[in-house]
Amino acid sequence: MPVAVAVENVSKRFRLHRNSPMTIRESVYQWLAGQHEKASSFWALQDVSFSVEHGQVFGIIGHNGAGKSTLLRLLCGLGRPTTGRIVHSGQVSGILDLTSGFHGDLTGRQNITTVGILNGLTKRELKEREQSVISFAEMEEFIDQPVRTYSSGMYLRLAFAAAIEFDPAVLVLDEVLAVGDERFQKKSLDRIATFRKAGKTLIVTSHSAEQIQALCDEVLVLEEGRSVMQGDPQNAISYYHDLMRQRTDKRIAQLRERTEVTPVTMPQGSRQGTQEATISAVRLCDNSMSPTNIIQSGDGLTIEFDVQMTSPLKDMACTVGIFNMTQAKCVEFGIPSFQTSFGSLSECQTIRCTITSLQLHAGSYHINLGLYPTDWSYRYDFHWQMHPLQVEGSHDIHGVYTTGILAVESRWNSVQNALEHPSNGV
Amino acid sequence: MPHTLELIWHLIKRDFHLRHAGSALGILWSILVPLAQLGVLTFTFGSLIRVDIPNYPAFVYSALLPWTWFSSSLSGASHLFFTHRDLLRRPAFPPGTLIIVNTLVHLLIFFLSLPLLFILMAWQERVAIWNPFTFLLLLLIQGMLTVGLSFMISTLNAFYRDIAQLVSIVLSFMFFLTPIFYRPVIESEYRTLLSLNPMVPLINAYRALLFEGTNPEWGPLMVTGGISTLVCGLGYLIYKHWLPDVVDAI
Repeated sequence: MPVAVAVENVSKRFRLHRNSPMTIRESVYQWLAGQHEKASSFWALQDVSFSVEHGQVFGIIGHNGAGKSTLLRLLCGLGRPTTGRIVHSGQVSGILDLTSGFHGDLTGRQNITTVGILNGLTKRELKEREQSVISFAEMEEFIDQPVRTYSSGMYLRLAFAAAIEFDPAVLVLDEVLAVGDERFQKKSLDRIATFRKAGKTLIVTSHSAEQIQALCDEVLVLEEGRSVMQGDPQNAISYYHDLMRQRTDKRIAQLRERTEVTPVTMPQGSRQGTQEATISAVRLCDNSMSPTNIIQSGDGLTIEFDVQMTSPLKDMACTVGIFNMTQAKCVEFGIPSFQTSFGSLSECQTIRCTITSLQLHAGSYHINLGLYPTDWSYRYDFHWQMHPLQVEGSHDIHGVYTTGILAVESRWNSVQNALEHPSNGV
Repeated sequence: MPHTLELIWHLIKRDFHLRHAGSALGILWSILVPLAQLGVLTFTFGSLIRVDIPNYPAFVYSALLPWTWFSSSLSGASHLFFTHRDLLRRPAFPPGTLIIVNTLVHLLIFFLSLPLLFILMAWQERVAIWNPFTFLLLLLIQGMLTVGLSFMISTLNAFYRDIAQLVSIVLSFMFFLTPIFYRPVIESEYRTLLSLNPMVPLINAYRALLFEGTNPEWGPLMVTGGISTLVCGLGYLIYKHWLPDVVDAI
């Protein structure tokens, strides 16, 4: 298959002082101080190479600051790689950042006209496509209002619709799929599937490993500006998760040098984390709040855990998940910010998560819990397979033999039809 | 190429729209502002401090219009990349287009004001018979000068915001050092200094063509033409060289 985009040994260095606009006075001072050559710089990307074929969906994952956005900007031809080169065949279009793709004082219609013309469409093609952009974005009512009055959801829908409907050969989407309500996300994913069937190339980044896995043919993992792995989504994502483990280990080592952190040994499962905050106890309770680790299918379950901070932290994030014996994630809850959800943090606090009805089949499960910094870059503490949960119940739910992960009720009816439908004269 | 022209035309319309969105008089302001300036100059130098020039309003206006094209293009150029950040974020958009568009927008405003000049001339019972080819040549020379300087200003202002301030100071100096509201200085000890201003031969030529109805002095005009070509080329090289860093800085 022909190559749509080829990235060859690309590196990108940013001069840090360029990030804030400098006045001539400042640069004269800097020059007088003899720091001109030493102006601090950092490598956002180092020696990254890959190629994307036509019709491929190529994913890029990596943590905040790993260089994803820099890479995408270069792919779009914004800025020049410090070394190496990028070759592409055909029109590239994309949504790089949500705040500056449109001009706020112009209406949605005027803005999409600009995008269309930039994508090389003629007046007539533009007229034809405009309507499909507006209806895909569900913006009929507001299209003639200035963009600055739009909500972020409206802005995103229009940006996405304009990017994909104007038919570029290569579409670049940065983190965009994670926004928008679930229904629109679904609609976007369907649209991407058609786009792909038409032999077009898509390059995406996403924080959501699941989305990357579902969407991509090939995934590149970036870590500190370097390409550390490229392969099929399954492998790339598990590598990405391993990186998190490595980063946590690295930080533990750093912290050990300063303070003595005693590793905690557990009777079962495993535990990893820097111990800057710990989950000191976990209790599972049933409906009547009495501690137990056996519940009936469909009953309520409360997961209560104590969080202790051993070093002062402003905020943290946590996850609580229920996994079955095959390590399939039945459900996972994530709290991205304690401050937002629970107010201020105290040195010791108890968090309670209540599930009103746990509709899982009978079997053995584990509760996995994790505490993270709010950028999810490593783990403060993670309990893996340490807290077993037994669910009891029967496969017979009101006379219906039910299997799988979910133990939900189903209602069945049969409507008696005559063998031959009377024709309605059609 | 037809596509580039379409893009430029679209961006010109977009610029006019942004310029006048929400104002009641809209595009009229583009004509009213230099007209008001003409009023101030005519009152000051025609009535307060009497300058003995016949048909003074038309005399000033014939030079003020091309000057306004020059000065408003350059002062607009400084912030061009910042005000159109949305376009600079688009793949496949050459930012230099904005400079061409900016120069053309102000040229159109110049054209929109031209009928007023002719009305003013007719009112004072003068009919300028002018040569359209010479006029085009003047526009071309000034256009290249403006585009070249704009390339430099827009590019450098992305790194040093001081440029915008400098440009406005230099422009206000130049306004007084260019014979817009007075006759060209012929005998002066500062003659060499004044001749450094490339706008002088241009403004003189416009006045000869539009007001006097004569041919311009070709000598100085050709020198300005040469300077304009050099400035245009140099400006483009500066722009081309720094463009990738501009994108990072914006």
